Amino acid sequence: MIKLDNISKIYRTKTIETTALNEIDLHVPKGEFLSIMGPSGCGKSTLLNIMGLLDLPSSGNILVDGQSLKNFNGKQLAKFRNEKLGFIFQSFHLIPDLSVIDNVELPLLYRSISAKERRSLAAAALEAVGLANRKSHFPNQLSGGQKQRVAIARAIVGKPDIILADEPTGNLDSVMGDEVMDILIRLNRENKTTIVMVTHDERMAKKTDRLVRLYDGTQVA
Amino acid sequence: MISNYIKLAWRVLGRRKFFTFISLFGISFTLGILMVIFSFLQGELGNNAPNSNKDDLILIETLRLQRIYYDTIPVVDTVMLNGQEIFDTTMETRRRGASRWNSSMNNGIAEEFLQDLPSAENVTIFNGDTQHDVYVNGIKLTLQTLYSDANYWQVFDHQIIEGRTFDDTDMENVAQVTVISTKTAQEYFGTTDNIVDRELLLDGTNFKVIGMYQDKSKIIPFISPDLVIPYSNMTLANQDSYYHGYFTTVIQKRSDVEPDVVKNEILTAATMIPMDHPSKPEGYNEVILMAKTYNEMYAQGIYSDDDASKSLNIMKWVLLGLLTFFIVLPTLNLINLNVSRIMERSSEIGVRKAFGAHQGNIIFQFIIENIIQTILGGILGLGIAIVLMKFINTSGFLGTNTMVFNTKFFIYSFLLTIVFGVVSGFLPAYRMSKLNIVNALKENKI
Ligand SMILES: Nc1ncnc2c1ncn2[C@@H]1O[C@H](COP(=O)(O)OP(=O)(O)OP(=O)(O)O)[C@@H](O)[C@H]1O
Ligand SMILES: [Mg+2]
Repeated sequence: MIKLDNISKIYRTKTIETTALNEIDLHVPKGEFLSIMGPSGCGKSTLLNIMGLLDLPSSGNILVDGQSLKNFNGKQLAKFRNEKLGFIFQSFHLIPDLSVIDNVELPLLYRSISAKERRSLAAAALEAVGLANRKSHFPNQLSGGQKQRVAIARAIVGKPDIILADEPTGNLDSVMGDEVMDILIRLNRENKTTIVMVTHDERMAKKTDRLVRLYDGTQVA
Repeated sequence: MISNYIKLAWRVLGRRKFFTFISLFGISFTLGILMVIFSFLQGELGNNAPNSNKDDLILIETLRLQRIYYDTIPVVDTVMLNGQEIFDTTMETRRRGASRWNSSMNNGIAEEFLQDLPSAENVTIFNGDTQHDVYVNGIKLTLQTLYSDANYWQVFDHQIIEGRTFDDTDMENVAQVTVISTKTAQEYFGTTDNIVDRELLLDGTNFKVIGMYQDKSKIIPFISPDLVIPYSNMTLANQDSYYHGYFTTVIQKRSDVEPDVVKNEILTAATMIPMDHPSKPEGYNEVILMAKTYNEMYAQGIYSDDDASKSLNIMKWVLLGLLTFFIVLPTLNLINLNVSRIMERSSEIGVRKAFGAHQGNIIFQFIIENIIQTILGGILGLGIAIVLMKFINTSGFLGTNTMVFNTKFFIYSFLLTIVFGVVSGFLPAYRMSKLNIVNALKENKI
């Protein structure tokens, strides 16, 4: 599903050069639930961003769903992300001015779908994360766990093949973290959604199919 | 999609109340003031009674007698001819100076030379500078008197409320009649009812009122005199010299000819004026009639350059500059406010882009938001304009003139509002749309 070929990412400023990723080769097959671990600053987020086409590698090749994305322009990349990828962030990144259901609808705004269909898809996604009764709340009226479940609903509403989650349980206590994790596992089992998750929590990582460890930009396990 | 953006815009405006207040205040105040200024100018300069023919009017307020002095200087050149130096003398004339005498013209000149210009539809001659003091119950009242011919009533379409205007027969008979304004009627007779056939005492002579017209306060006295009398009654008619006198001529051109055509005809007419009249002051050998359009006259009144069309040009630039200033300043201010407002929303932009918005989507969204905001400002500005006009009208700043709300202008300013919205929204939106997603989503912004 995702194939990384010799990916490196180097941040250069005038004075220093940081190698965030060093020649990573990684293959994530379709339907796998992969977790990535490693100490802070080792390049986990950078790797996930590159997989999610949010950032470009300094060198190397990425194939997503068999497609090389080298020659895509901004608009094509946006369309690709819209159709194939879903994102979950540690700090939720819900839009405070939008109601829960409007937040969930967001990815569908960039498709040609009728407003009515958008509504019903968003309602179904909220149902799937157990928040059908919070549709017209606003993000600041929700608990952290609920916010992250809204974010998951937003990530799955477009039925993407791949979900990329950067520390989705990082800001949650263990009970809420388990809830979120259960939803992700169910998604992976039932919908065969490929999931790549960055985590600091061994317990969460153990629940996934495979664990990749990074150290200083290099894959160590 | 648009309906989502509108909904969001509404929420955003409501959530950031202080920002909304500041920016709406800026937009609405600017637009309100612009609307008031426009409707004032429209009333003052627009083509409305008694000024409906304004665009076709050419004024001659000044007759210039002039003489240009030339010096004749012998110039000696040395030329080599057949190896021999010879001298060749040529005469060169140089303009040394000019003496000019500007004054208003004698009615005789207008009667004799300006009646039959090919492109003229109508001509009127008048003096609008006379003031009369009259006494009403022992209280002094100063009236602006206009002495005119009968054509005045055709060139300037005063709205006649009662009675009639005077005609050529009244002129010939030196009829002691007058047409007065509603304001004069109110002040002199204390009423505007049944004014006709009453008498008005001016300088010891009784003038019979034959008609009354609606008063309009205007800056230019001859458009809004207090009373009008046939100029055959004027003791200053045919006075001064054959050339100079006390009159202004206004030519109403045919609307299908350019003003310059008429101006040229006037120049030609001036060359027909004989220069050998015994009343001609010594030393002048040329007569020029200084013609200008109406707008040039206004411009000259504000920026007084000898050359009326130059004044108009300068005026136009000054007005344009002011207008630009009025529009650019709040736009810059808005851009500034918008940048900081959108900056706060970088995480939203990051999320939208991650989930498939491309640059165009982001720009579109923020421009829609801005347009909604400026349209709100426009509606508020409309309210401000209406209130201001009402206030100005009831306070009587403009005399009996009233400002009228102008629908066409409202539509223009509404369009202007939208331009405001697009311009002030585009730059910040464009900048933010280029934002790098990863940076926009940075968890810990410092
Ligand atoms: N925009 C940037 N400019 C320069 N260096 C950067 C930039 N972004 C990240 N880095 C560097 O790249 C390295 C990897 O960063 P990354 O965010 O991928 O770490 P991480 O493994 O996600 O850490 P954490 O667990 O704290 O989230 C770090 O050393 C960081 O300082
Ligand atoms: Mg990270």
